[in-house]
Amino acid sequence: MTTYLANRISQFLLAGVVLAMPAINLSAQAFRDSVELEPVVITASHTPKALKDAPVVTRLITLHDIKMTDATNIQDLLTQEIPGLEFGLAMSQETSLNMSGFGGNAVLFLVDGERMAGETMDNVDYNRMNLDNVGRIEIVKGASSALYGSNAVGGVVNIISRENLEPWTANVNSRYNSFGHEWRNGAGFSFNTEKWNSQTSFQHTTIDPVDLPKPYSSEEIAIELMKKAQGLPYDASVLNDDSNLSRLYGQKTYNVKERLTWRATDKLTLVGRGGYFFRTSERDTYDYHFHGYSAGLKGRYAWDYARHLELSYAYDQYDKANFRPDGTRTHDHDYSNRQHVVHALYHHPFGKNSLILGADYMHDYLSTYQFIDNTSHAQDNIDGYAQFDWNITEQLNIVGSVRYDYFSASAQKALTERLAVVYKFPWMTFRANYASGFRAPTLKEMYMHFDMGNMGYMIIGNPDLEPEKSHNFNLAVERTNRIRNSGFLDGRYNFTLMGYCNSFDKRITTIGGPVYEGMESALYANEDGITVWGVDVSLAHIWDCGFSLKVNYSWMHETGHVFYSDFYQPRSHSMTWRIGYDHRFSRHYALQAALSGRSQGKPQSGRTDVDQGYTICRLMLQHHLWRGIHLNTAIDNLFNYKPKSYYYSSPLTTGITFSVGVSVDLDTQIRF
Amino acid sequence: MKKIVTMTLAAAAFVLSMSSCSSNDDEPEVAVADQVVGSYTGTEVLTVMGEADESTETFEFTKSTDSSVDLIIPKYGEGMMTVPALPVKGIMLTQSGNTITGKLAKYEGTVKTADGAEKAYTVSDITVIFSGKTVVVTFAQKYGNMPFAFEGQFTGAKK
Repeated sequence: MTTYLANRISQFLLAGVVLAMPAINLSAQAFRDSVELEPVVITASHTPKALKDAPVVTRLITLHDIKMTDATNIQDLLTQEIPGLEFGLAMSQETSLNMSGFGGNAVLFLVDGERMAGETMDNVDYNRMNLDNVGRIEIVKGASSALYGSNAVGGVVNIISRENLEPWTANVNSRYNSFGHEWRNGAGFSFNTEKWNSQTSFQHTTIDPVDLPKPYSSEEIAIELMKKAQGLPYDASVLNDDSNLSRLYGQKTYNVKERLTWRATDKLTLVGRGGYFFRTSERDTYDYHFHGYSAGLKGRYAWDYARHLELSYAYDQYDKANFRPDGTRTHDHDYSNRQHVVHALYHHPFGKNSLILGADYMHDYLSTYQFIDNTSHAQDNIDGYAQFDWNITEQLNIVGSVRYDYFSASAQKALTERLAVVYKFPWMTFRANYASGFRAPTLKEMYMHFDMGNMGYMIIGNPDLEPEKSHNFNLAVERTNRIRNSGFLDGRYNFTLMGYCNSFDKRITTIGGPVYEGMESALYANEDGITVWGVDVSLAHIWDCGFSLKVNYSWMHETGHVFYSDFYQPRSHSMTWRIGYDHRFSRHYALQAALSGRSQGKPQSGRTDVDQGYTICRLMLQHHLWRGIHLNTAIDNLFNYKPKSYYYSSPLTTGITFSVGVSVDLDTQIRF
Repeated sequence: MKKIVTMTLAAAAFVLSMSSCSSNDDEPEVAVADQVVGSYTGTEVLTVMGEADESTETFEFTKSTDSSVDLIIPKYGEGMMTVPALPVKGIMLTQSGNTITGKLAKYEGTVKTADGAEKAYTVSDITVIFSGKTVVVTFAQKYGNMPFAFEGQFTGAKK
């Protein structure tokens, strides 16, 4: 029991350390401490657990990782950290996602455990996820619907905000990236008293349009075409360009967030939050405007350390509209998704064991030009769930969860379960997990009635759709240890090997539909699914001398009713790696350096008209200078990789680029 | 020496007189645009998102100025899925030997559909090469709210 309590206390102390880590001030020692003090994760079990005790393998991206990847947005970060995860472009150059064979709508993104409204064709607007105030990101691959409900079919990505615990902090930062002449300017302010804690962040970005180089100019193509017409020898490859993209649109974003915590009593804590997001994307014909509004209130009452009740309300709205160049709104592409979520969670301990009971109510409203007569539809989702965390011995832990969901519009029900077993040998931890997942048909998939691009091709919704279902099995072994008195190898290492099988059925997709008023159509329907087999391997070693090495490899293979679209090109092999170095040379100078890379294998589809695989490397140097001044420099795509042709799953690079940024901690400036 | 100077002046006077006469004897110079205007029928290949569609079409060139032409890219598709004919104006021409080349970086316009609605469109990266009675045209066109561009190649012969 004493050991148990000591572990719990250390976990909470650690949680404080992890949450409190300021963005830039992290020293090499702090990094090593953060690794050695057993980081805490919450996503896999809805309750804080040391990473080594999590019932399901959880990939943790720490604040230090965020800095070492030099990522400035969630897409860049996840691409560099998670092999098998690839962002591409979808219709209208919106972002598509593929994670180990699952599309964006089968991966649930949460911000501090809350869902986001968005464009339900694929997923949320990733631009809303500002990294400036992020403390850590937890990724649980595989199904998690027994805790999180719909969409947690292929995985959950939980972005967890940072909470500064210093009396006050203030930071301003600016950064330039040569790709698209991107400027990213931000500011943050926080204060912390005995009763109050406030975190405020603001970010503004601009990026110019980027013309993607074509392999041949229109004149070169015309010359070869003329040779062909005249019966002269010509180069046929010049006439066949497989590119789908010629220009990336420019955009501007504004993102402001506030979170205010009031520790009303020792037992009661209230958290209020609000956020506003705006993005404009400059297109050929119209400008697209996107607005995001979020607000929430959460109360937490803790009778003691382990017994507590959470009640929360969250509102999220995501709007889109088109504007003409003269600034007038067209009103023919209006879109608004609004979600109200009420959430209750009760955590009750039974000695070393614990019970979680939870329930949610969500009202989902969607108004879109893609519905007939621009009408709107809404549905209610009610769910209840329970989880029992049974610590049978110090070595053996079993976690069982069950959840029931009901959706009013489709009158569909879903029962999902999970059973996770953890056994800790002295030399290795073994995990076995079964989880089911589902994705309820969206309002769009049920009620769409859309003449695509006014081209006379209809996309028609289907109110009779059934939820997509998945069954996920995985087995994992993990070893974490410290090497001492071995000279060069002294440090800490971690090795994880996980094999999984994801069986995914009743996949919602479009099939050839009936002729509608003389037009051809595509109809949403449930189809046979796929089975995804895969292996994930990760290896990390953090040397005491300041060096670090991380290698992550992923293999996956799909069987069953496999089909590939232009927006969806999963790859069997992928790998990310990073060699890092942290060192403080003097009181006034510290260096963080990282050489990192990501390699993607050839598309599993066998498609040969595009690049068969690629590697992109990055070198980052972050200098921590005098009085809280930080200078960041990076060179991306070190070896100047350029795609043969640009299609929706190409890496969006035109060759080598550089970035430079400066960040100033104003509180350090003043306190010094 | 005096004889050499006299002969040189005489030769120069002859050359000048001949050259002044020759301008009266030559054919009138035909403007470069006039050499290429007309209808050309042949094969158009439109590629969108990597998928190519081939059809027989007629491209019409009309004179804009002496050194530029207008072009009408014919309609594409059938029934409700029709992109109407798209005019492109002001393609500047240059001549080199028997080859006339025209280029235009971008043209933006609006066009009315069959049901009277007005749609914006953009045609970009236009290159035209005339050689004898043959023409080739390369271009990219984007119509209305279509989220993607059509890449076009046309090879035709003058009627």
